[in-house]
Amino acid sequence: MKNSELYKVSKRVYKEAILHAQLQAAGSNQQRFLERIQKDRVARSQNIIFKFMAAVYIASLVFLPVISIFQIYLNFGSNPEWITFAGSLSFSIFFIFQLVILIVFALMLSWGIMSGGPYEWVHTLPFNRNHIQKIGLFTFARSINIQLIVMSLVLPIGVTTAVSLAAGLYLGIGKIFLISIVSIIISVLNTIFNLAVLVILGRKLAIVMEEYDFNSKRANFVRISTMVIYLITSMLVVITIQYGIEKLPILFQISPLTAGSTSIMNIVLSFIAIPFSLGYLMTIFLVDISMIPSLVIVGSVTGFLLYILLVYLVTKKALKTLRNISSPDIKRFDPKRKKTVVDDIKIKSTTPTRAYMKRDISIITRETQQIMILIMPIMIPVYAAILGFTGAFTVVLGNTGLTDLYIVLMFFIVMNSFILSVSLTNIETGGETITASLPINPREQVKAKLPYFFSIIIVAILVAQIFLVSSPIFYPSLYLTLAFLPVFPLIGISSLLFKILLFGKLKNKFAVEEIRVKYKIYKYILGFVFVACLMALFLYTAYVGYWAIFTAEAIVSVIVFFSFNYMFPKAKWKVKYIF
Amino acid sequence: MSVKSEVMVKVDNLVKSFGNVVAVNGLSFEVKPGEIFGLLGPNGAGKTTTVKILLGLIEEDSGEIEVFGLDPSKEEVKVKDRIGYVSEDPLIYRSMTPRMLFNFISSIRKLDEKETTEKLKYYFESFEAVEYYDKLIATLSRGNKQKMQVIASLLHEPDLLIADEPLTGLDAKSAKVLKEILELHTERGGSVILSTHILEVAEEVCDRIAIMDKGKLVAIGTLEELSVMANKAGADLEDIFLKLTNQDESITHIVKNLRKMLGNNKK
Ligand SMILES: Nc1ncnc2c1ncn2[C@@H]1O[C@H](COP(=O)(O)OP(=O)(O)OP(=O)(O)O)[C@@H](O)[C@H]1O
Ligand SMILES: [Mg+2]
Repeated sequence: MKNSELYKVSKRVYKEAILHAQLQAAGSNQQRFLERIQKDRVARSQNIIFKFMAAVYIASLVFLPVISIFQIYLNFGSNPEWITFAGSLSFSIFFIFQLVILIVFALMLSWGIMSGGPYEWVHTLPFNRNHIQKIGLFTFARSINIQLIVMSLVLPIGVTTAVSLAAGLYLGIGKIFLISIVSIIISVLNTIFNLAVLVILGRKLAIVMEEYDFNSKRANFVRISTMVIYLITSMLVVITIQYGIEKLPILFQISPLTAGSTSIMNIVLSFIAIPFSLGYLMTIFLVDISMIPSLVIVGSVTGFLLYILLVYLVTKKALKTLRNISSPDIKRFDPKRKKTVVDDIKIKSTTPTRAYMKRDISIITRETQQIMILIMPIMIPVYAAILGFTGAFTVVLGNTGLTDLYIVLMFFIVMNSFILSVSLTNIETGGETITASLPINPREQVKAKLPYFFSIIIVAILVAQIFLVSSPIFYPSLYLTLAFLPVFPLIGISSLLFKILLFGKLKNKFAVEEIRVKYKIYKYILGFVFVACLMALFLYTAYVGYWAIFTAEAIVSVIVFFSFNYMFPKAKWKVKYIF
Repeated sequence: MSVKSEVMVKVDNLVKSFGNVVAVNGLSFEVKPGEIFGLLGPNGAGKTTTVKILLGLIEEDSGEIEVFGLDPSKEEVKVKDRIGYVSEDPLIYRSMTPRMLFNFISSIRKLDEKETTEKLKYYFESFEAVEYYDKLIATLSRGNKQKMQVIASLLHEPDLLIADEPLTGLDAKSAKVLKEILELHTERGGSVILSTHILEVAEEVCDRIAIMDKGKLVAIGTLEELSVMANKAGADLEDIFLKLTNQDESITHIVKNLRKMLGNNKK
């Protein structure tokens, strides 16, 4: 069978894999997800959008080498040691970022490919082992083809263009050509290395996400931290790019170290294969070689040789991984655990509320969508950091230190509280009749949801405060946050109660799950507007004065307390019937 | 047995519609302690809807319902405390293991740890499901999921067991075990409401049978009483069922047409 034919087959496998990954991420909403992709073309082409986003991100990183090259030629005469260091550093950062962005964007999609699931049906078709291995390889290549092409092109194009523009007149065609060749070699090696790392990491993630028999506590921890790292990394990349554009030129202009210590640092770093050797090599070719200490040259050549060795080893491992996933022997990861025997069966009871909390956690941590929603509030500090750094928000309003930045942050809090309420109550839906038939007072069910509102958002807003330390509005914001502490749970609980009021009203009680689903969209909008208005009220009191804040907090607390007890009254009786 | 009234369940003139579909239309019946009460009817007859109303999962439009002398929509928790429910679809948490599930259930029902552990061991052994105790429910087979549901409905020794197609997916041996469990349950004074399509099962285990069609009660009684009603003395439940739901003639018709079509295709 020809490779081109196998490449065609890989298209089907690829689509299968995408669906697999999306279903995995949809968790208990799989049915809804399937309905959606049947109707909705946008949902189907989600992965293409992802691909292009990744490609654009990778391409946009080119500003790092371009700015560096301009700075190198602008400042080189002044302090060659320091310029070598700064140039190499920014190139190294560029290489690391490329890898991080590739991983951040690709992992979500490629774990479906790495799990082996999509290959199962290929084995039922008349292909031999070798063919199937090739299909596995092609499928993976398909999943990141655009990113890889962009990644390998962006450095050579960026470097050649920047060098021609910045120093084309006195470098000469020959030198520019040499620099281009070097950048191509480095770029290709770097791309291969990144690809191999992606394969290995993708496989690791696939194991974490799909391994059913995983010891649950550890699995939960790994899942949550994977998601947190994923989100935080992507946010940090955005911040750094923004920050980098502003601050990179300054790096080249000031040197905090003496010339001697800089040259020692250069020598040491140039020996380190990842990530510095590539950066040093590139910089050496950019500047006049005669001005570089020979030890640095020796170092970067040694580092580069080490790097090649590493690329070789990593690629070998990645190829082996790829071969394994498409082999029929490894489909499920089944850790050798001992079989459960009768004596392992043991019941451990807790209070109903705690049992509900445990159940919620076990559902949340196993479903990617739910985890995402739970850690959304963690993003508040990141917004604060971004907005704080841009320095656009510094206006203080009223006399309690209410700032414009604070108002924007509160908007995120409203959003997060509402999303949190919706997702926490939706855990109950999905027709889980086992719960429906249990003799539970909804009061205990709702009580199990409350801790989220007392913890996540408060922690998030306090962390956001840390990010504002250097900002001129740090103190006003801090005092206001302390005065506002009760506002966050109040907003959260109000949104929870209001959502239940809209969706769960029955004749004699309120149900946590969505029962009245008519006009769903309008109800969601109404719910959001309600919480936003409540927040607006609090912000208005913050404008007026501290006494107004505390008064409003007290009044709303009383209202929330009584609404809660009205909607979810305590059980009046206690019975236990046994045979 | 703590049941004081002579009837476990009393349904009088129950009506429930979804939009313009009348799912249950003027249904009345009683279930006595110690009996297995069969609820039979073609697809869409309203069996599941009836059963869900008894549990307070759906609110009725009109009619009187008493379960243990209580109104399930008002005293939901009290009622559910004494009912075991096996639902039509085994919708139990996919992302939990049976261990987590049973810990959860026994916490909610406030069951005694030691006693429940013993029962659980016994049920898991009877259903030969011990090895699945720590597997994710999502990965269990259809029948094993059903077993988890059945065990979950029995752990608190309910007075009334409501089982909607409980045998779905069970293999022959487990089905036999379940039927034995049902018999044992009634011998100890409990009642069972069994909604099913499998007429042999109804014939074998039910003490009394109600036949529903399009939300209405067509006939109710023991097997003998039903056969008298259908004018088919000594006939089996299938014939009685088809006759009483007016399906016997249409069946002859359908069979004739099928014969014709398949016969034509052969040529
Ligand atoms: N939530 C609902 N919304 C709208 N219609 C419903 C709903 N639930 C049930 N129905 C309708 O009510 C009627 C009775 O349904 P029900 O599920 O009670 O039948 P059933 O006797 O259990 O059928 P089966 O033997 O297939 O299980 C059907 O026409 C069904 O379409
Ligand atoms: Mg049904």
